[in-house]
Amino acid sequence: MTSSALQDLWLTYQSTVAFIGLNGLLALSVYTTLSCGQLSLAQAAFMAIGAYASAILTFHSGLPFVVNLAVATLLPALVSVPLGLPVLRLKGVFLAIATIGFGEVVRIFFVNLDYTNGALGLTAVPQRTSLWMIYAALGAALFVLWRIRGSRAGYALEAIREDEPAARTMGIDAARYKLAMLALGAAFAGLAGALEAHYTYMVSPSTYSFTRVVDMLVYAVVGGTSVFYGPVVGAAFLTALPEVLREISARVGLAPGPLRLFVNGAVLLVVILFLPEGISSLPRRIRDRLRARREAHAA
Amino acid sequence: MGQQIVNGLFLGSIYALFALGYTLVFGVLDILNLAHQAVFMVCAYAALVLVGHLHLPMLAALPVAVLAGGLLGMAVDRIAFRPLRGRSDSNIAGLISSIALATILEAAVVQVFGPDVERFPFGTVPTRSLKIGGAVVSELQLVIIAIAIAMLLGLTWLLRRTRLGRRIRAVAESPKAARVLGVDVDRIISASFFVSSALGAAAGVLFGLAFNNVSPDMGRSVELKGLAVIVLGGMGSMPGAALAGVALGLLEVFTVAWVGSSYRDAVAFGVLFLVLVLRPRGLLGSAALREA
Amino acid sequence: MIPSVRSLAATAVALLALPSLAVAENVKIGAAFSLTGNAAAYGAQQKAGVQLAVDEINKSGKLKGITLELVLEDDATSKEQGIAVFQRFINRDKVSAIIGPTLSTTATAADPIAQQGKTPVVAVSNTAPKGITDIGDYIWRVSLTEGQVIPSALKVAQAKIGFKNAAILYGNDDAFTKGGFDVMKASLEAAGIPIVDIQTFATKDRDFNAQLTALKAKNPDFLMVSALVEQAAAIVSQARQLGWNVPIMGGNGFNSPKLMANAGPAAEGVMVGTAWNKASTDPVNVAFIAAQKARGNDPDQFCAQAYTGMIVIADAIAQAGMKGGRDDIKAGFAKVKDLPTPLGKFSFLPSRDGSHPAAVQVVKNGKFEILQ
Repeated sequence: MTSSALQDLWLTYQSTVAFIGLNGLLALSVYTTLSCGQLSLAQAAFMAIGAYASAILTFHSGLPFVVNLAVATLLPALVSVPLGLPVLRLKGVFLAIATIGFGEVVRIFFVNLDYTNGALGLTAVPQRTSLWMIYAALGAALFVLWRIRGSRAGYALEAIREDEPAARTMGIDAARYKLAMLALGAAFAGLAGALEAHYTYMVSPSTYSFTRVVDMLVYAVVGGTSVFYGPVVGAAFLTALPEVLREISARVGLAPGPLRLFVNGAVLLVVILFLPEGISSLPRRIRDRLRARREAHAA
Repeated sequence: MGQQIVNGLFLGSIYALFALGYTLVFGVLDILNLAHQAVFMVCAYAALVLVGHLHLPMLAALPVAVLAGGLLGMAVDRIAFRPLRGRSDSNIAGLISSIALATILEAAVVQVFGPDVERFPFGTVPTRSLKIGGAVVSELQLVIIAIAIAMLLGLTWLLRRTRLGRRIRAVAESPKAARVLGVDVDRIISASFFVSSALGAAAGVLFGLAFNNVSPDMGRSVELKGLAVIVLGGMGSMPGAALAGVALGLLEVFTVAWVGSSYRDAVAFGVLFLVLVLRPRGLLGSAALREA
Repeated sequence: MIPSVRSLAATAVALLALPSLAVAENVKIGAAFSLTGNAAAYGAQQKAGVQLAVDEINKSGKLKGITLELVLEDDATSKEQGIAVFQRFINRDKVSAIIGPTLSTTATAADPIAQQGKTPVVAVSNTAPKGITDIGDYIWRVSLTEGQVIPSALKVAQAKIGFKNAAILYGNDDAFTKGGFDVMKASLEAAGIPIVDIQTFATKDRDFNAQLTALKAKNPDFLMVSALVEQAAAIVSQARQLGWNVPIMGGNGFNSPKLMANAGPAAEGVMVGTAWNKASTDPVNVAFIAAQKARGNDPDQFCAQAYTGMIVIADAIAQAGMKGGRDDIKAGFAKVKDLPTPLGKFSFLPSRDGSHPAAVQVVKNGKFEILQ
């Protein structure tokens, strides 16, 4: 086992590892609003805002990267507030649709913005993101969510998720919590956008489409939204899957594109129908099944 | 100016046809069926096969494709929605499972037909045009507008005048009450999906004919516009969907003519957003439970 | 799945030892094309082009002692996939050179990786004027940019038709079509032709009636359209169906037999600047077309460019003294001069862009013909 072979393996799959981290962060950004029962699909737009803002700063100011990232995190969060105030009143699917509309408007805005070359976007963005930064950001996001879980805010969020009217009668300011989670999700998405832009050398509006945010939702759902780390599991699984499929399709002889699409859809369908709490609940379910069997035998 | 009105009416009738099915299922189930656009697309391909390979005339192929669409819709219900009924998160879960099914259908079509754009063989439909005022209208466009109107009328008759229609409306009102009254709710939901998807199938075939364009992603361009239409019209309202469809078509066309083509899509989504924020029930929807 | 580490190590050692062997050397060339996704129509033709080239080169024994091995992957018309594929090529398959990817948008993201990994890339269909060869000295280009093709195509059209003003319709949410538009606008302005109207559309659009009606109302003598072939066919059909017979010239996206297949009679008379003169009687071109047809493929410009890219790589290997390493090929590129290819006599410019004569085509009787 030579170190150069390991090094080659690493270099080959380095981008996959990077994207697992980025997609994990994006999945968490969708999860934040899901955790209080709201489905927001505007995260691609927040990602775009973070990406463009940080890229513009890179080109036009000499500020250190950390400052760029901070702006990319805060700006979308700020933008999410005037969005959230009118829109979070809406129920379920209407909220989702409103956020889809917002997302499309933002994307079209960037497509038409000459300052950033419209559809061409910004190219030759210097690569300032390294792998540890992505995972540091992911770790920070997980940490924040972990702390929220066990706190009073966490219980409030769960109450809102379970039954919002009841939570409100108990005195929980649902509107404030929902807005806070929307802003938090926007922050995560903006940060991921900035990191990605400085990793793939470019920012272009087509990256931040409805399809992208649906992908993020799929990561979160497939991973499982009952635990805070679930979405990351989903992102890891679904980001690594095309690489695995590439190997398989080469051997089986099926066209790689449709196969990948098909498997994505099939995995999602199977999870939503049979494993509603996502892949992350699999270990627990297996453990429960084994324990039940053991008890049945013992009895 | 006259030409743009024709353009808008024509585009609008296609939007309306697509949205009718969309809003029907939403009215009945309170669920957005995001596989609707996949049925739309698959049935366009079905008609393509019928006309292109089996050499059926379009007059025969259209009803067959529509029927196939209805059946496919029932399958969608069976696979993606029925297993989730009764689950507390059924709204979001249904949304997601319909996305999953749409992805699977799209993948299957790409595998079988390839990713390229296809078109109906030349000569499938007559290509004569008429000049009305200063505007050019093709025969095909007139036929499509006529079919859209016919389908809207047919749907309205179905819902108002038939027993099935009454039951569908009952289930839309309250599934529990309907069940108590002896209605087989699952069967009625299945029937609603049949009707909805048949409409979507018709829209798909006509869309493919109208724009010489059948491709695996043809549903995507209409899907989001369809959302704008049903929100504008009022979720669950058929006349609302028809009205809003035409309105959106005209709005888009006149945005291109008077403002600039770059803003065409932004207008649709801007309208969507404004309606949800200012008047969530849309033009003709009922004011029930739209707010949290 | 992922090869075992031991087999990877063995391969690495073997490959490192190869240059010292005098026996048949296997030179791997990675080809990243859009086999799925928006650009799949082009990718399929490119695949046919490189496969033919590799087979012919290996059979002819032109590269004494060297066998070219083609490693083909799908970039799925996606930046992420493009990056992943390039990384595999460079680090796992250890290719000596890469051909592709199909779209300029993918290239701007993936090529920098090859530059960093010191692996030469031959762009065979990237026509965006900026952001390709200026990435670095390992990036070379065979495809003429829109900036090289459109101005001369415009001149030919002007000489033939003599139009006084023009309008432009373009897709504003795609890097390629937007780039094409920029060149069209600049070329018209440079030629002193007033632009009476500009309209845009989105790649997902299918209905162009509104834009076409608005353009028609301004009564231009000439319409330039920058679109991918899927929309190109629809635009042309709908324009004719509106009763508008204005002469139309398309950008590089129009360069596909799919235009005529999908637009039918409406495509008659449409002009397209092309990097490939299909009707050229040059023997290399004639042989190429015959060989493709023998394989059941009617070649288009993308096929010809991909084929050319591969024979340029082969020539670079020969120019470097029959050496197939990455830097050998890179050095060899600089020595490629007037190489006979289906595109004409090919050389690289100092900017590493391609140089060969361009032409203008017009659709006649459902086929592209050269406009003299």
